[in-house]
Amino acid sequence: MSSLPGIPRIALTWLLVAQVLVIVPHLVHLPLWMIALWLGAAGWRVQIFRMRARYPNGWAKGGLVLLVLAGILLSRGTLVGLDAASVLLIATFTLKLLEMRTRRDALVLIFLGFFCVVTAYLFEDGILAALYSLLPVTALLTALVGLQHSGFAERPWPPLRLAGGLVLQAVPLMLLLFVFFPRMGPLWSLPLPNDKGVTGLSDSMEPADIAELSRSSALAFRASFESEVPPRGQLYWRALTLERFDGRRWSQSGYADVPVAPQWSKAGAPLDYNIIMQPSGKRWLYALDVGEMAQDSGRMMNDFRWQRLRPVDRPLLYQVRSWPEAVRQAQAEPPGIRQALQLPQQGDPRSRAWAAELKAQYPQSDALVAAVLQHFNREPYVYTLRPQPLGSDSVDDFLFNTRRGFCAHYAGAMTFVLRAAGIPARVVAGYQGGELNPSGNYIQVRQFDAHAWVEYWQPGQGWRSVDPTFQVAPERIEQGLEEALTEEDGFLDDQPFSPLRYRELAWLNQLRMSWENLNYGWQRWVLGYQGEQQLKLLQNWFGSFDWQRLALVLVGTGALLIGLLALCLLKPWQQRPDPQRQAFRKYERLLARHDVRREAGEGARSFALRAAQQLPEQAAQIETFARCFEQQRYAGGPASRDALRKALSDLRSALPWRLSR
Amino acid sequence: MRAALKPLWRRWLAKRIPPAASVRLNQRRIFILPSRVGAVFAVALLLMLLVGINYQNSLAYGLTFLLVSVFVVTILHTYRNLAGLVLKAGGGGAVFVGEHARFRVRLESPERERQAVALGWPPSDLVVRDVPRQGQTEVDLSQPAVRRGWLRPERLRVESRFPLGLLVAWSWVDLDQAVLVYPRPLEGELPLSAGLGDEEEEGMRARGQGADDFQGLREYQPGDSKRRLDWKAYSRGQGLLVKDFAMLSGRDLWLDFDSLGGDSEQRLSLLCHWVLQFTERQQAFGLQLPGQVIAPDYGEGHRDACLRALALFGARA
Repeated sequence: MSSLPGIPRIALTWLLVAQVLVIVPHLVHLPLWMIALWLGAAGWRVQIFRMRARYPNGWAKGGLVLLVLAGILLSRGTLVGLDAASVLLIATFTLKLLEMRTRRDALVLIFLGFFCVVTAYLFEDGILAALYSLLPVTALLTALVGLQHSGFAERPWPPLRLAGGLVLQAVPLMLLLFVFFPRMGPLWSLPLPNDKGVTGLSDSMEPADIAELSRSSALAFRASFESEVPPRGQLYWRALTLERFDGRRWSQSGYADVPVAPQWSKAGAPLDYNIIMQPSGKRWLYALDVGEMAQDSGRMMNDFRWQRLRPVDRPLLYQVRSWPEAVRQAQAEPPGIRQALQLPQQGDPRSRAWAAELKAQYPQSDALVAAVLQHFNREPYVYTLRPQPLGSDSVDDFLFNTRRGFCAHYAGAMTFVLRAAGIPARVVAGYQGGELNPSGNYIQVRQFDAHAWVEYWQPGQGWRSVDPTFQVAPERIEQGLEEALTEEDGFLDDQPFSPLRYRELAWLNQLRMSWENLNYGWQRWVLGYQGEQQLKLLQNWFGSFDWQRLALVLVGTGALLIGLLALCLLKPWQQRPDPQRQAFRKYERLLARHDVRREAGEGARSFALRAAQQLPEQAAQIETFARCFEQQRYAGGPASRDALRKALSDLRSALPWRLSR
Repeated sequence: MRAALKPLWRRWLAKRIPPAASVRLNQRRIFILPSRVGAVFAVALLLMLLVGINYQNSLAYGLTFLLVSVFVVTILHTYRNLAGLVLKAGGGGAVFVGEHARFRVRLESPERERQAVALGWPPSDLVVRDVPRQGQTEVDLSQPAVRRGWLRPERLRVESRFPLGLLVAWSWVDLDQAVLVYPRPLEGELPLSAGLGDEEEEGMRARGQGADDFQGLREYQPGDSKRRLDWKAYSRGQGLLVKDFAMLSGRDLWLDFDSLGGDSEQRLSLLCHWVLQFTERQQAFGLQLPGQVIAPDYGEGHRDACLRALALFGARA
C-alpha cells in the first residue's frame, strides 16, 4: 500500500519542516552552497505539488548529481572521509526530495533523515544538540504519520501530537535500553571528523604557539578528584616533552617515542582522579607526574608521557593514579640522556658564555638551577603574551635584551642554559592549573592554561621539575593566566562575549558554573557511558553481576514498562460490559437451566411473560427482575447493580436448585 | 507447502474466529507483525546502532534506542487501532454473473476513533476508512460474480498500519455473508410453449391478473405497478384506481428449460433473459425447470423467485 502514488499535502509540509530541522545542525560544517541547494530543491518540490513544475527528468537528475559531486570535491577536496561523506549524505537527503513521487520515496527520505540526525551527533554531541535533535526526529515521525491513508493525516496538528506522544511514551523504554544495552568496542575503524578546528598542544613548540593557545577558552579536559583537590600550584599536567632544539623551535625527539616505560619508583601518597579529555586529535594523554593508568587507556613512553594507540578523537574518560613524589630515573646514565644535552652547533654565544660562567661558579647542579631561577626572579623580566619579536639568536635576545615573554620563552631559555652548562634538561609541555568548580569537586582545564616548564636530570636524583615562569609571574601559577596578564595584554580580548571574561560578575559566574556542571555530568554520565563506565555503574547497582542477570533485568523491566503503557492506552476497565447486561445474561442462563430460553430477537418483556407462564410459581420473582431491568435500562431509572442482584438472587432461591438441564 | 497448509490454517482460523454476522476484534482475533516498511526500518536501526558502536557515540546509541522504543510503543498503538472494533454484516442485493456483488460491512467503534482501517480481499486493493468515535462507518466491498449460485466470499481481511505504517495488525473475519448470483442474461430466440398441453381448448378463462385483457378498475393496493394507475380517474377525484387486466389462461406463457437447446448454463442464461423481459413487459409467465415448476404469475416477487430458482438450479442436487 505504501507504493500508492501521491504524497498528502500535510505529509509533504512536515517533510519539508523536518528537512530544515535535520539540516540546521549540519550548517556549521556544510559548505554554504548546500543551503542554496536545499532552497532550490524545496522550492521545486513545492511547485511540483502545485502542478506548476514537473519532476526532473533523467538528464536533470544526472546533472544535479554531477554538480553536487563537483561541489563537494571543490569545497572538501575529496569524496572520501567522514566530512565529505556527511556532505554527500545531506546532499542525497536534499535531492531525494526532487524525485519523491510515491509514498515509498517519502519513506526513503524519512529514513535518510534519521541517518542525517545520527551523523550530526558525530560532529556535535552537547546537551543542547541532543535536546535539539528531538525536534527533527519528532518532525520525521510526524511526516511518517502523515503518510497514512487517514482523514487524521489531513489535518496538520493531530499527526504532530501523535508523534510527540509516541516519542514521550518511548522515553522510559529508551532510558532502560540506554543503561542496560551492553556496550562493545568498535567493530571496525571508521573515518572520523577531521580535527582541523581543534586547538591544542602540538609536538613542536615555538613560543608564539602557546601565545596562540592562550587566546582560546576551549576546554582541554576536566579532572575530578576522589579526595581533596590539590592546590593549583601543584597541578602540572604533563602532556609531552620537547627535547630537540634547532635554535628557534623545540620539538619532540625520536627517542621520546620509544614505547618503553622508564624506570621509576613510587614515593609519598598517591592521588586518584578521573580525566575526561576533549578530542585533541593527538595521541597523548594528560596526567600529573608520575601517572599510572590501566593498560587499555594507554602506555607510558620513554619520557613519562602517556600515549594511546589511536588519536583522541572523541571525548575520552580515563582513570589515573599519580605519585607526585616519585623518583624518576635515578639510576646512573639512563639510556638516551644524551638527547637532553643536545644543542645547536652554534648560535646564542652570550647565553653559552653565561652558562659556562655559572658552571664555574656552581659546580652542583641544584645550586646552578637555583641560581638561574634566582636570576629570573631578580632581573626585571616581564610576563606578557605580546613580547617583542626576537632576533636570530633568540635565546640571547630574550635573556639579555627584551626580557619580555611568557612560559615558553622562560622554559626554552632555561633549558638552553642548563644544557649549555652540562646539565641534562628538557622542556615539558602541558597545562598548568585549571578552574575549580566548587560544587562538582572537579577542575576544568582550558586551552589558555597551556604551559611549558623545565625538568633537569642529575645522577642519583633523577628528573626534577622546575618552573621559571613561577619566578617571574607567581600569580600565573597560583591564580591563573588572567591574574598574570597586564592591562595591555588583555585576557581573551578577542572574545568579548566569553563568559570567562566576566568572572567578577557573581551571578553570571554562578550561571556559568552551573552550566559547566551540567555539561560535566553530561560528559561523564551520558557521553562517557561506554564499556567500562557501564560495567562500573551496573556493578554498583547489583553488586556482582553477569550478563545473564542483566538480560533478565532488561527484559523484565521492559515488559513491566510496556505493560503499564498498555494499561494506560487500552484502558481495559472501560471495556467491561455494563452491569445491567451482565445481570440479564445471568438471568437468561438461570432460566435456561429451567428450560426457558430466550429466542433470538425476543425482548425482555415478552421473554418475561413467557417465562412466567412456563414457571407460574416463580412468576412474581421473574416479573420483579424484568421490571427492575426495564426501569434501569430503558426508563432512565437510576442504575443500581445491587437492586438487580437482589432480584436475581430472589429468583434463584425461588427456583428449585439445578446445575444444568 | 503453502497449499498443503492452507486447509489446516483455515480450520484453525474457523475455530479461533468462528463465522458470525457480528465480530468484535479482540486479542484472540488480532495478529500483529512488522510490515515490510517496518523491516526496512529495523535494518536502518541496525545501521544506526553500528554507527553508535563504531564511533562509541552515546547519542547515536540513544537515538537508536529511542526509535526502537517508538517501534515497540507503536505495537500497542497499532493493536489499539483495531482492538474493540466491531464488524457487522450488512445486506447485499443479488446480482447477475459478470456484475460485481456488493457486500456491505458496518464498522462500529464503541469507544475511540480509529484511523485507516482497511478492509478487503487480498490480492485486490483494500478499502480504507476511518471510524469516528462512538460511531460507525459503512463500507461497500465488491467482488466479481463469476458463477451463479450463492457467492460466499473468502474470509475478509481487516488490517491497520496506523500510526506509523511500521507494523500491520490484521484479522481474518467471516461475517457469514452471501450474495445470490443469478445467471448472466443471454438474448436469444425463445420457443414458446404456451400452456401445458391443453392448447386445443380455445375458451378463454380469466385466470388471475394478467396483462392481456382489460377487466375494469379496482382499488390500488400497495405493490401494484404504477403504470397501471388510472390517472384520469385520480384527477376526477375518484381516488387511486388501478386498471385491472385479466390474463388469458389459454395463452399462459411457459418458460421451459427442456424445450431449449445448448448446454444447461446457456439455457439458464436464456431463461434468465426472458424472465427479465416478461417482467419488464408485465407479462405473466411460468417457469419449468427439471424437478421444479413455478406457476405462472407476474410481478417482482415472481421474478425474484424465478431468478432464484435459476441461480440455484442444480445446486442442491
